[in-house]
Amino acid sequence: MNPHALTRRLLSAAAALLMSAGALAVAAPGAAQEEQTDSLLIATNQEVDTFNPFKRRFVITYNTSMMTYETLVRMGTDYEPVPGLATEWEESEDGLTWTFQIREGAEWSDGEPLTAQDVAYTYDLLIENQAIRDWNIDFAGNLVSAEAPDDTTFVLTLAQPSPWDVLTREVFIVPEHIWSQYPDPSADDANQLPLVGSGPFQVTEFETDEFIRLEANEHYWDGAPGFDEIVFDYYTETDAAVAALEAGEVDIVNGLNPAQIEALDGQDGITVNNAQGRRYVSLTLNYNSVTQDGTAFGDGHPALKDPIVRQAMHMAIDKAALVDRVLDGNGQPATSIIPEIFEQYHWDGGDSLLEFDIDAANALLDEAGYVRGEDGIRTMPGTGERLSFRFFQHADNTDYATVVQFVTEWWTELGLEIKPEAIEQGTLNDMAYLGEFDIAFSGWGVGPNPTEQLGMHTCAVLPTLTDGTERSSENNYCNPEFDALHEQQKVESDPDARAALIKEQQRMLYEDTPVIYLYYQNVLEAYNSDKITGMTLQPSDGGMITGQQGYAWSYVTAQPVGAAEEAGTPAWVWIAVAGAAVVVVAGAVVFALRRRKTADERE
Amino acid sequence: MTADGPTPADAAAPSGAAPSAGRRPGRVANGFGRYLCKHVAGAAVSLLLVLFSSFFIFRLIAGDPIDQLTKERPVSPEERAALRAELGLDRPMWEQFWDYIIGTLTMDLGDSFQYRRPIFDLIVERLPATILLSGTGMVLAVLLGFWIGTRTGWRQGSRYDRGHVAAGLLLYSAPTFWLGMIVILVFARYLGIFPVNGMRSPSTPPQFWPQALDIAHHLVLPVLTYTAVVYAGYLMIMRSSILDEIGSDYLTTARAKGLRDDQVRDRHAVPNALLPTVTLVFLAIGGIVNGSIVTEAVFSWPGLGSLFVQAVFYPDRPVLQALFVLFSASTILAVLAAEILYWFIDPRIRKS
Repeated sequence: MNPHALTRRLLSAAAALLMSAGALAVAAPGAAQEEQTDSLLIATNQEVDTFNPFKRRFVITYNTSMMTYETLVRMGTDYEPVPGLATEWEESEDGLTWTFQIREGAEWSDGEPLTAQDVAYTYDLLIENQAIRDWNIDFAGNLVSAEAPDDTTFVLTLAQPSPWDVLTREVFIVPEHIWSQYPDPSADDANQLPLVGSGPFQVTEFETDEFIRLEANEHYWDGAPGFDEIVFDYYTETDAAVAALEAGEVDIVNGLNPAQIEALDGQDGITVNNAQGRRYVSLTLNYNSVTQDGTAFGDGHPALKDPIVRQAMHMAIDKAALVDRVLDGNGQPATSIIPEIFEQYHWDGGDSLLEFDIDAANALLDEAGYVRGEDGIRTMPGTGERLSFRFFQHADNTDYATVVQFVTEWWTELGLEIKPEAIEQGTLNDMAYLGEFDIAFSGWGVGPNPTEQLGMHTCAVLPTLTDGTERSSENNYCNPEFDALHEQQKVESDPDARAALIKEQQRMLYEDTPVIYLYYQNVLEAYNSDKITGMTLQPSDGGMITGQQGYAWSYVTAQPVGAAEEAGTPAWVWIAVAGAAVVVVAGAVVFALRRRKTADERE
Repeated sequence: MTADGPTPADAAAPSGAAPSAGRRPGRVANGFGRYLCKHVAGAAVSLLLVLFSSFFIFRLIAGDPIDQLTKERPVSPEERAALRAELGLDRPMWEQFWDYIIGTLTMDLGDSFQYRRPIFDLIVERLPATILLSGTGMVLAVLLGFWIGTRTGWRQGSRYDRGHVAAGLLLYSAPTFWLGMIVILVFARYLGIFPVNGMRSPSTPPQFWPQALDIAHHLVLPVLTYTAVVYAGYLMIMRSSILDEIGSDYLTTARAKGLRDDQVRDRHAVPNALLPTVTLVFLAIGGIVNGSIVTEAVFSWPGLGSLFVQAVFYPDRPVLQALFVLFSASTILAVLAAEILYWFIDPRIRKS
């Protein structure tokens, strides 16, 4: 074959490639500019369990449900009940009947009107559909009937008065005209994308482990949100999400650690939000592993049954120092179960507050007859058993490892022998519920309705079996007085009276010391303030952006700053591709020519 | 010892083969049949062992799946029981085992705990992303490793050799996670020329060309990281393989014919040196499915590796079981394929 023919053919192919790449390069940015969309990009790492609002359990799907759908009563920026789909509501004298006025003119995102019939249909699912009822049994079990006498009135009947459940339980109202088409609403059939809801944004697109797209609802009764769409973008590693925030690829990042916010703080266009959180961290003392019928299980140290020992251990912990040294100051020392963020319910310790005082704690133990042995470790009066405790920590939590170091030092000064051990979290949970530990870490995120968290400390949820499978009780706390207060606060309609009861419950937990509450952890977030402005926080004063409850105030109120950045692939990529094509083609030509040459030589 | 090496094999082989020396054609077919049967049976046994052990291994991971499903939220005992029933955890162990075996054999892998969707769908969704990333990375790593390995081996002890071996081993021993973060910081954060993570950005128009280009753009950094970490393995094998050949008589003959040095290397040394690397290449092909678990995690690449990591942390037992079987099976089958291929490319096996 003529070598020139080959060369010519290759060159013409290269030219064709170049021209098509060039044409694409011109076309692509143009196409992107036509429809300029203001997107709010939020980094996430949690997988989607389901888009069914009754079935969802994960935070990510809580967030998407909260934006797609709405509740009758919204949770305000300070966790107070404010009108949502219901404009007003009334509780009957006996507390069993609730009447809601449903907002007129609200529409579903497909343009259909939203009426009280949809509300009744939704609440009926909780009552009639066995699977949906089971998933929500703690609330649904108390519902008797749900009716809509007309298009704007909804009447809910309860078996027991339960005002706060009715007001704070998030029942996301779903469209009857969509959901009733499917034979079983508990299956995922009714959750075909795009979702139809009445909230500010609806889920329209989901690519597993890539992104979830929510588009603004043009029919939203409460006015259009500032952004056209919200995208949850997946970042497996927080460090990568931080790099993306700095590079302008994502707009809101949460779950940061102190080192990360320190690095971000003060950077141009990035604002760090260091907000009070809903989470407490505590130490569980194994003092009472018994079932409801009084069968003891597990192998907790007997000395922990003595309230004096637990109190002394409590006094020997400098919580302020832990906040400083472990959290770099990003938190508050804890008193009891409800964090400071819930101002109305948080109990500040009052007169019962224990000061950090190792000497006083030592004196308490001396007085109670726990004398020190030759090795400096105290022994129990009577049996003479050494106060040697196993201290279990979650192996994946570096904060806990630091806490263990401090606490072990303080408790050693108390004459206790502490044996710290890092254990994988699944194993640790198993051992904790089997009662096979002395001291272990625990911690929960507390919701705006404290009933749930306090309910974990009632006698009713003590296990009935000793196999550790019933995991409803937090450290098997059981105190009839506490239970009585708990029943009272559940039905108390007056917010102030209820708060007083809840504070009293917390005082009991503090004094009985089944657990030692260490600190409340702050939420550390950062966002691109060159792009976003005007986000409403919850609580409104110094609150958080990403962990909001009941309504997505921050995302709905967020406004874009100026024009959005150019979307799509940057132009230089097209040029680089064209360049790469030239290099490849040129390389192929050179190679072919060389091959020819060597072949000539060979012959 | 090396000189005596072949003797025991030769001594062992005739016991079956020698008496039938008269019928040569039949003996060859028979030999291949037996060789094939032996290796297929071996692979089948391995697969069965994997299938059985997969069920039990992941039950050793402690923790109640319900704890994860209801994370950070108090759960009533009724709700717990309902979830337990839904996930089939309330059924006896042998029943779960039987369902698992039958299910896996019929490709019905059950539902994931965390996604509550059929695992088969989860895997099918993520397989292309994984093949794209590790397939590209693997091809590059093999080509690069063989290319450099040939040249370093040929010029053993030179500065070129020492430099490449050192660089390759340095990258080989670097933690993938760390290297990935460095790559992200340099190319995405500071230079800003490549995206930080994922396979495409949500704002890319849905048409084919913009999507393809966006994916290629996202592919660069993970492939770079992946290739950088693994290519040294291929380099070292190719290098030592070339070293084995380098003193051979046939190379001297080739030189005596007056061939140039690189012709001697490429036409004579390389084909022979490639033979021992066949297994390696097939292992690499099998490994494409297992992918690059850490690379996928660092770059949030939506592939099987990310799925596996999430499942481990969950722990999502059914997904772990299925992936473990899939990963093992792909490797076992690739090795089987390599063994079958050896029959045809390596005459020594036919003789033994």
